[in-house]
Amino acid sequence: MSFLDRQNTVAPPGYNRFLVPPAALAVHLSIGQAYAFSTFNLPLSKLIGLTKSAPDDWTLLQLGWVFSIAILFLGLSAAVFGRWVESAGPRKAMFVAALCFGGGFMVSAVGIAQHQLWLLYLGYGALGGCGLGIGYISPVSTLIKWFPDRPGMATGLAIMGFGGGALIAAPMSVALMDHFKTATSNGVLQTFIVMGIAYFIYMSIGAMTVRVPADDWKPAGWVAPVKPMKLVTNAHVEVNTAFGTRQFWLLWGVLCMNVTAGIGVLSQASPMIQEMFSGRVSAAAGASFVGLLSLFNMGGRIFWASTSDYIGRRNTYMVFFLLGIVLYFSVPTIGRLGSIPAFVIAFGIILSMYGGGFATIPAYLRDIFGTMHVGAIHGRLLTAWSAAGVLGPLLVNYIRQSQIEHGVPKAQAYSVTMYIMCALLFIGFLCNLLMHPVDSRHHFKSDAAAAGARRSAS
Amino acid sequence: MKVRFFVLWLIVGVPLLWGLSKTVQNALKLFQ
Repeated sequence: MSFLDRQNTVAPPGYNRFLVPPAALAVHLSIGQAYAFSTFNLPLSKLIGLTKSAPDDWTLLQLGWVFSIAILFLGLSAAVFGRWVESAGPRKAMFVAALCFGGGFMVSAVGIAQHQLWLLYLGYGALGGCGLGIGYISPVSTLIKWFPDRPGMATGLAIMGFGGGALIAAPMSVALMDHFKTATSNGVLQTFIVMGIAYFIYMSIGAMTVRVPADDWKPAGWVAPVKPMKLVTNAHVEVNTAFGTRQFWLLWGVLCMNVTAGIGVLSQASPMIQEMFSGRVSAAAGASFVGLLSLFNMGGRIFWASTSDYIGRRNTYMVFFLLGIVLYFSVPTIGRLGSIPAFVIAFGIILSMYGGGFATIPAYLRDIFGTMHVGAIHGRLLTAWSAAGVLGPLLVNYIRQSQIEHGVPKAQAYSVTMYIMCALLFIGFLCNLLMHPVDSRHHFKSDAAAAGARRSAS
Repeated sequence: MKVRFFVLWLIVGVPLLWGLSKTVQNALKLFQ
């Protein structure tokens, strides 16, 4: 299995660097399936009853935990295995991610066949979640090293794939279940087996084709700026050192607040538009609204991350927070005016910035901490995603429920939530405002340089 | 190298475009 080792993935001279993004995309398009897992919830809740849930069938509440466990393990595995991913190299990491993600589907298929829910928690939740975490961070540092001139665009392209994965998985799952459906089965078991094999093969193609640049490689004609921008360093910070810096936790706050604001809306988008425009938006149109938001989420990833290469990372997040505050603040007014197009455009832009926040953060980390351990640092930062995944939906659901219990009409029950989102974005704005370069004492020094520094100090 | 470039982008591009077209078709129902 030595062909998986980092040293065997170094690209030969003259290698076209644009061969690397498809490898990253193959992995991200696969693991992005996670966003479409809800497609399976209803069929899984009718495995015995088929047309309607039988008493022994799993409930939607029980099934909701499969996705939650997967996202929890995404954050945990990215944080725990980040250092290993850096040392093992992208090919081995992507292959392990393929084994975990494909294997997760297979273990879950056994759980479906035996009607054992814990096997779904273990399979798709824990094992698949590790595939998500390792797969998510594995191409990041490789892409940043291949595209030192356009790191935002490069990582944005890969992370766009995570948003795009759901667009493929949702119709594919429905088509497969329809294909395998019989009088005695709703086809979900066979769909899990096919998807497990397909994702393993697809991710393995990414793993086999990924290459890392030679240590001294640079794009032809590109010269690293001698005097980089204020917030861009040419130095490197080791992952454990970075974890203890103020900058890491400010960026954690930036990501957490940006994701919290978006994820809460995403989780409630369909009922929200139906309740705010009561009688004018059907359930089917509500589902279409969710699909439209997914497009903005995906498009925002490549658009904002590429834009950040020109206007800078901090300025990009400033736009997210300030424009987000304006848009969230205007939503209750838009609701009162009854303008559905303005509502869709406002949330489309908000969701584009939600996606953009995910896609721009690796390049921001590279600017602040350098390229040496950027993948591992990114892995630890993704715990902000896990926290936001709990905080966002909780805030939206809890505040809406509390408003309705206090007699506020459903159409206006989201107003307070929108103002709280403004407050969260303002906290993110402050975190971003406080960002400054890492003190040089935290910079990584090779053994020789450290010995030299000690000699000159004594 | 050019063939490889074309094939790799095709492998990721085709499923993505298929998923995009399906989503756009559904999303357009919002405005019907």
